[in-house]
Amino acid sequence: MSAALAVLWKDLLSEWRSRDRVISMLLFSLLVVVVLHFALPPDAGSTLRAGTAGLLWVAYVFAAVLGMNRSFALELENEALSGLALAPADRGYVYLGKAAASFVLLAAVQAATAFAFALAFDVALLPVAARFAGIAALGGLGLSAIGTLFAAVAVRTRQREVMLPLLLLPVLVPLLLGAVRATAALLDGDGIGAPLRLLAVSDAIYLIVSFVLFDFVLDE
Amino acid sequence: MTLAIAARGLEKRFGRVHALRGIDLEVPRGTTLAVLGPNGAGKSTLLRLLAGLSRASAGSLLVGEADPARARASDRRRVRAAIGYLGHATFLYPDLTARENLLFAARLHGVADARARADALLAQQGLEGAADRLARSFSRGMAQRLAIARSLVHDPAIVLLDEPFTGLDPAAGAALELELRRMHQEGRTLVLVTHELGRARGLADAAIVLARGRVVHRAATLAELDPLALEAGFRRGLERTA
Amino acid sequence: MRHEAAPSAAVRWRRPTLLVALALALAWGAAVLRAPEDSVQGVIQKILYVHVPCAFAAYAGFGVTAIGGALYLWRGDERWDRLGHAAAEVGVLFCTLVIVTGPIWAKGTWGRWWSWDPRLTVTLLLWFVYLAYLLIRGFTEGSERGARFAAVYGIAGLAAVPLNYFAIDLFGGRAIHPENLQRGSLGAGMGLPFALGIAAGLATFVHLVVRRVEIEELRAAASAEELERSAAEGAGEGPPWRM
Repeated sequence: MSAALAVLWKDLLSEWRSRDRVISMLLFSLLVVVVLHFALPPDAGSTLRAGTAGLLWVAYVFAAVLGMNRSFALELENEALSGLALAPADRGYVYLGKAAASFVLLAAVQAATAFAFALAFDVALLPVAARFAGIAALGGLGLSAIGTLFAAVAVRTRQREVMLPLLLLPVLVPLLLGAVRATAALLDGDGIGAPLRLLAVSDAIYLIVSFVLFDFVLDE
Repeated sequence: MTLAIAARGLEKRFGRVHALRGIDLEVPRGTTLAVLGPNGAGKSTLLRLLAGLSRASAGSLLVGEADPARARASDRRRVRAAIGYLGHATFLYPDLTARENLLFAARLHGVADARARADALLAQQGLEGAADRLARSFSRGMAQRLAIARSLVHDPAIVLLDEPFTGLDPAAGAALELELRRMHQEGRTLVLVTHELGRARGLADAAIVLARGRVVHRAATLAELDPLALEAGFRRGLERTA
Repeated sequence: MRHEAAPSAAVRWRRPTLLVALALALAWGAAVLRAPEDSVQGVIQKILYVHVPCAFAAYAGFGVTAIGGALYLWRGDERWDRLGHAAAEVGVLFCTLVIVTGPIWAKGTWGRWWSWDPRLTVTLLLWFVYLAYLLIRGFTEGSERGARFAAVYGIAGLAAVPLNYFAIDLFGGRAIHPENLQRGSLGAGMGLPFALGIAAGLATFVHLVVRRVEIEELRAAASAEELERSAAEGAGEGPPWRM
């Protein structure tokens, strides 16, 4: 378990030094919000609630992809990934550390983007902020969970920038459905129980599958 | 267990290409083995097999007391705890300081007092002055020293080094040689892949020469480590296995 | 220096699987021709005799891909990997056929090419998963690493298929894909061609996988010979070390 904390500490410290991951993730998702604002009709915030919820999550997914790609790209410098493979630690814990670090950074970006999104589309997020944070956290958890596994694969292929979204999206649909429906329902004042359950189930499956399979991805 | 490393009929295939075949190896505990041979002979592949970074295609391999790649997970972890590996890359994080790199490595390896260990290693490698400098600012020689410190962070009984003298100036090379001698005196088992025969002769108790994935010559005594004898043995071995 | 001249294991299976597949295909073809035309949908309904078997093969194929990958990871025997790879390449073919024949039938009966029905959507996602699997293999340096990565993705993908179905069924599109696996929902005389079709489809799948594995084994042997030949040439002039 200390290995997981060590990896988490190392990733966050490394990020604090350069801050390049968080900045690029944040700028990118803010840009997406701005572009979407122009792409949609002016009163989208009130009429296309479900639609705008979906777009927010699209921004989140792309920001997450950016972040996780970078997370493993850093491990490839000086083959640090092999260094992790050689450690006597249980590799599942190494995985948890990396996923946790991605989750933390993504959460920061999610918060900032939600704020920008509420402003841009004049959506009342504040009254439902707590529950929205819960949905965002659950979504971010699943994203980080399965994204970390796939990023470890994608970053060692030839088309690494394109590879991660290609691997991720077909498998991410349940999470997206749950997160978008929950967000839309929240904004519409409907019940969020059902989509939240889907989110939770997806998260559990992603975590378990990734925890078990990460061992094979770290091997040479 | 008097043998730190025991391999029998070790083979590594990539697809149908035999990178290594018929490797028999015995490295008694506390000895230093030099691994020599031309490029592409399979030396790095062999070292990676020993480290458990790669899985052998056939044959048996025991490092410490278990197969580093094919044993049960808990056994593999125990083996990894006993091995230190220094490859072509340094495993360092450029955005972390020297001390932080060692701290991370220590914590990752479950070392008890990570901070004390990191400081001790920094002192040992003469890097205290640069302890708070980012690893990305290090020269090749300093990075190598830091990488060595990192490979020793968990006090491994077996140390595997892949061409550690590459890119080092003569002074740094001499320092590394002293370092390896010290490790040997501490009772560690060393496997050293190198092209520097002069240095190897000063350090090694035995040597094997690899070519085209096979062991073509073995030298087990100091006399056999003589350059002329080695070269003759190498030539003979090449012809024999052609 | 000789590498083992093992005959491709797949060769032995080639003829028997071909015969079985051909026999079933002929039987199926005959049954399709003799099957009555659907009173409501007309002759376009007959494309279903291709569509449904392909769907079975596509999903079964992915099962083989994932299980082959899992066995490869567990055992390290590359024959499992070759099986998984072959199953993926053949499976994606069948999956493409499903996605192509489906809309053709849909346009003829529902009047629209596409709908986000759960079964359609999950099959489309399966198609993407197949492609991603093949891309991993194509884009990874090192065949062993590529095999391992693909195996991992195959297993993840296998977990994703039921999850996808569950999710899209709950929240996705409208379900208008016919539920034709219940007894009695088919017209009289249509059961046999469907059954034969599924059997023929699976048999064809198996035969194609056998052929694909054979090709892979031959290719591996050829590249090994090539590399051994080049390695034997020239081991340098002087000793391979510095004094």
